[in-house]
Amino acid sequence: MRSTRGGRVGADELLVQVAGGDQRAFEELYGLVSGPVFGLVRRVVRDPAQSEEVSQEVLLELWRSAARFDPGRGSALSWVLTLAHRRAVDRVRSARAAVDREQREARRSHNPAFDQVTEEVEAGLERQLVRRCLDRLTALQRQSVTLAYYDGYTYREVAERLSLPLGTVKTRMRDGLTRLRDCLGGAA
Amino acid sequence: MSVLARLFRRGDLHSLAAPYALDALEPGERAQFEKHLKKCERCAFEVRGLTEGAARLARSMAAQPPPAMRDRVLSAIRNTPQEPGPLRERGRETREYTPRLPAHVWGAEPQASRARVPQRRPFFVPFATATAAAALVVASLFAVQANRTQDKLDAAQAQSREIAHVLAAPDARATTGADTAGRSIGVIASASEGRAVVTLSGYGAPPSGRVRQLWLMRPNVQPRSLGLFKDDTPLVTTGLDKSATSLAVTVEPDGGSPQPTTQPVVQLALKSVGFGE
Repeated sequence: MRSTRGGRVGADELLVQVAGGDQRAFEELYGLVSGPVFGLVRRVVRDPAQSEEVSQEVLLELWRSAARFDPGRGSALSWVLTLAHRRAVDRVRSARAAVDREQREARRSHNPAFDQVTEEVEAGLERQLVRRCLDRLTALQRQSVTLAYYDGYTYREVAERLSLPLGTVKTRMRDGLTRLRDCLGGAA
Repeated sequence: MSVLARLFRRGDLHSLAAPYALDALEPGERAQFEKHLKKCERCAFEVRGLTEGAARLARSMAAQPPPAMRDRVLSAIRNTPQEPGPLRERGRETREYTPRLPAHVWGAEPQASRARVPQRRPFFVPFATATAAAALVVASLFAVQANRTQDKLDAAQAQSREIAHVLAAPDARATTGADTAGRSIGVIASASEGRAVVTLSGYGAPPSGRVRQLWLMRPNVQPRSLGLFKDDTPLVTTGLDKSATSLAVTVEPDGGSPQPTTQPVVQLALKSVGFGE
């Protein structure tokens, strides 16, 4: 397995080269980021064909918009994944908007398994580490974070699903992310 | 708005940092928060930290994409122009092809004054997805051909290298001109290197059996052909001498003409890019 730290440093430099129009650098960058991008998009979008479509759009956008990356503001991989996540979320939300509202009501009353994320987790060091850290959150922190991040719900929708006040959800999200970061901290 | 209401509102905005980092805001709120983020260093700092946390959630999901995706994306980028950096954001103009310009190319253009203190920029900026998607479609079509004809690919690559070369010249400058119909010609030129990259936008395909030909105009000398435009591909020209005063484009029979046979459809003075001495 590729060293995450090595990959991250590499991605930063490569992205700067890509911003200068370097196609070879993009090929290398593709090797580093396409897996994380595709995996994340698939987790959020779920449908394989649509996931591939969204991933392609994201990677192409990465080429087009590489000049917007500012190395002083975070790692290249975070930047790329932020972009990928936003696109994935946009896609599920527009798909969801098309779904009959009644159907959603039915699903909600059916009380779905909020924590399915942690159950889907497979092998992979990063995955195990994140899972361990997710497990250390309170149930509400974990649900708030994963419903929003992995399932693409807005915080209002999360509040509705968990029957919590908006303020509480925002706080759970912040505390959840902060604890997650602290837990994952040195192991980047 | 009272001071109290304003404070309350701001406190309320602060609390959106975590939902923002998780992409859990509705579009309106997102825009509002991004606006706030520009002025709130503390929020920017917090968002950065929270975003790194969210990115870890993302990375833990990494999965092998289908191998065909790689070919498609790599072919696509070969035919996809890049956007310039954020300095040009919200700039006047161009929804069309604009090569990415190093800062020095803009020279005395007003762009420079738009430069902001970097940390005041929002961490996230909206992207032109629709355009990206369209480009992907076009590029995929291109890819089908490109896979068969390595020559074409090589040509495209050689051309990007040429363009990069012009851009890299220390005296590279850009200028644009438009005709009355709003169609435009753009040039990035280096007088010291005698090179220029010329683009046309808005002209569409020339009439059947015709081509657009680029001419170099100098005082008291016959126009010299600089080449023919192929579709909307930028034209890279070399060997420009400093006496050049302008560029002109005419419509000519297929294969081009030794001298212009029609009136120029557009003309562009080169003085601002360091020529015409």
